[in-house]
Amino acid sequence: MAAPVRSMNNPSGITCNTTSFQKKSRSKLVSIPGTRPSVQNGQLLVSTGVTSLDYVIGGGLAVGTLLLIEEDRYDSYSRMLLKYFLAEGVVCGHKLFVASAQDHPDDILQELPAPILDDVTSPQPVQEQAQSSDPDSADDMKIAWRYQNLPKVQTALASSSRFGHYYDVSKTMSPDMRQASKCHTFYLAEQPPVESTATSSMGEAYTDLLKTIQQVIHQQGFDGSAPQSKVRNVLRLGLHSLGSTLWGDDLCCRENPIQSHGLTTFLYALRALLRSSLSVAMVTVPSHLIQSRVLMGRITRLSDTAIALESFRGSEKETNPLYKDYHGLLHVRQVPHLNCLVCEVPDTKDLAFKLKRKQFTIEVGHTTAMATPSPPLPSPALPSPPSASLTNR
Amino acid sequence: MLLDVLQGAEAGSFIIFRDSASCPGRRLLKSYVHAALKREEEVHVLEFEASEEELPTGLDVHCAQRLHIHGGFADPLGWIKRSSFTVHQFTSRSISTLISSQPQSKSALLVIDSLSWLVRHLDPVVICKRLQEIRRGGAVKTIIGLLHADLHQISVVGSVCHLASTVISVEPRTNGQWVLAKTTKRTKSGKVLQEEELFSIQENLTVTVHSKVSHTTQTQPETDSVEADPAANLTFNLHLSEMEREAKEKVALPFVFSQEKKSALLNAGQGAGRILYEPDANDDFDQEDPDEDLDV
Repeated sequence: MAAPVRSMNNPSGITCNTTSFQKKSRSKLVSIPGTRPSVQNGQLLVSTGVTSLDYVIGGGLAVGTLLLIEEDRYDSYSRMLLKYFLAEGVVCGHKLFVASAQDHPDDILQELPAPILDDVTSPQPVQEQAQSSDPDSADDMKIAWRYQNLPKVQTALASSSRFGHYYDVSKTMSPDMRQASKCHTFYLAEQPPVESTATSSMGEAYTDLLKTIQQVIHQQGFDGSAPQSKVRNVLRLGLHSLGSTLWGDDLCCRENPIQSHGLTTFLYALRALLRSSLSVAMVTVPSHLIQSRVLMGRITRLSDTAIALESFRGSEKETNPLYKDYHGLLHVRQVPHLNCLVCEVPDTKDLAFKLKRKQFTIEVGHTTAMATPSPPLPSPALPSPPSASLTNR
Repeated sequence: MLLDVLQGAEAGSFIIFRDSASCPGRRLLKSYVHAALKREEEVHVLEFEASEEELPTGLDVHCAQRLHIHGGFADPLGWIKRSSFTVHQFTSRSISTLISSQPQSKSALLVIDSLSWLVRHLDPVVICKRLQEIRRGGAVKTIIGLLHADLHQISVVGSVCHLASTVISVEPRTNGQWVLAKTTKRTKSGKVLQEEELFSIQENLTVTVHSKVSHTTQTQPETDSVEADPAANLTFNLHLSEMEREAKEKVALPFVFSQEKKSALLNAGQGAGRILYEPDANDDFDQEDPDEDLDV
């Protein structure tokens, strides 16, 4: 309070900057489009493309970190998350890197969801929600006046300020928009066969992929080695279904895989690469096929944020009345500890996701559903205690 | 949905018929081949489990000329050089030369009878990679494989089935002569369709679906028993009669802010007490602020 007064009395103080108080100017990094500093620890964040997922993992993905997604059984929702992640990169003008062994990366890029860019239409979900709550208030209960004006409990997760974009899954992004962003692809089947020089503990495919990523990061100057000429930018890496058999990895086939260190070594090296550059990665892993729980635990530890999708498709939970509003559960396996000992713990651990007509959203799950009067369920149908989903397996 | 799958699939699909010793699925595979031949498609069969004479029996004679059998039954590993196809020839290159060697080289159907034989002799990682190569190669329109799930580790079966676009599991049914088929189909958009059907196969290899098994009927009685009225056997009365309800609604609740109450509070009537106060210079306006008296 005192300092500005003094500098106002002394006009020269403004120029020579004698005061120790300075207006907190935004750092240069913030000028990258599509990023913002974290409220908690000042880390530079990018959006995953799903606003509610950003909220769950503490505001967004910190640049230089790795998000691991454990695929659902049929890889439908995890693939959608990957597409959201890439689409967000296209909209923000980030550079993309897509690697896959199953489908051609260009096929994945063609299926990116169309953004809802018009700001008039974006608050629509909120209006819909307000309308949907109206019928509830129609047969209003007599309630003491103190409680009449309390805010409604919102199940959809969203942070107060807008970050990231909304996407319409039913439409695909227009080709002009897609081609405007620079995209590197890596398709394993099209890679020229390279004679492996040394017997590295990584498989050939992973070595190849790591080298390609390294090259892209180095040549485009994401690691700061070559100064980026114009504007600083973020590289988004989307790696699809690592650890599946198509990557030449036998994690999924054997209890004691021969190349048990292949994927873990790759993730270790990848994370080191990410940490020293302006890049962020999303990796999906078919964890339901990976036999060794120990290895899966190591893979989780080698990533920063880890979430698991559990689709109800094909499980007995599909017909459970408790879950009728949702398409699956989302387990947060790990949240990152960045530059500090504590991490931001999500408010609630039981989360469920659903795919509405156009949008993928994550909501607070079944305990709120249980709070509403519903028939008591037999004990085997009850969900596993939510704490079990967050603790280490 | 089983019939939809038998009607033929879009290009690039990979269908697995999953069976076990208690319920063999070869006959269903054969009826698929039969249906494909009827649609005038070229069918190439990699045969490891039956002799080359066995498969065409029961098929139409003029259909059979579009059926090309590459037999590995007599000598699957090529020890005595008697087979036209061995396990080690299972690469995308040799498959595409096999298919293009036929005069009508339009996109063809590749039937693998059975995948289990390949899994026994090749590394599962290698099989998955080659299947994917063949699928994307273009020479083959659809890959059909029979997999004996009880012969392999669950992990291997899971990995191979993970690649497939459609998995049909055949399971025995304890009552009756029908067989249960669980169909799981993944569409390109990522949607997953599932259905369970009871079917039987006629003499002329046509499939008849008898009924669909839905899970909702199974769970329905369970929820019914749960939803039994908890207020049924109580020692006190929980229900309200019409008269009682009227009486209840007449009662003014103490903390409900009704319109009359509000107006009564806002427009205080005549004769009510009032507090008149004129602020003083030394008044403490803000109790919270300790530095009020300082000039800052």
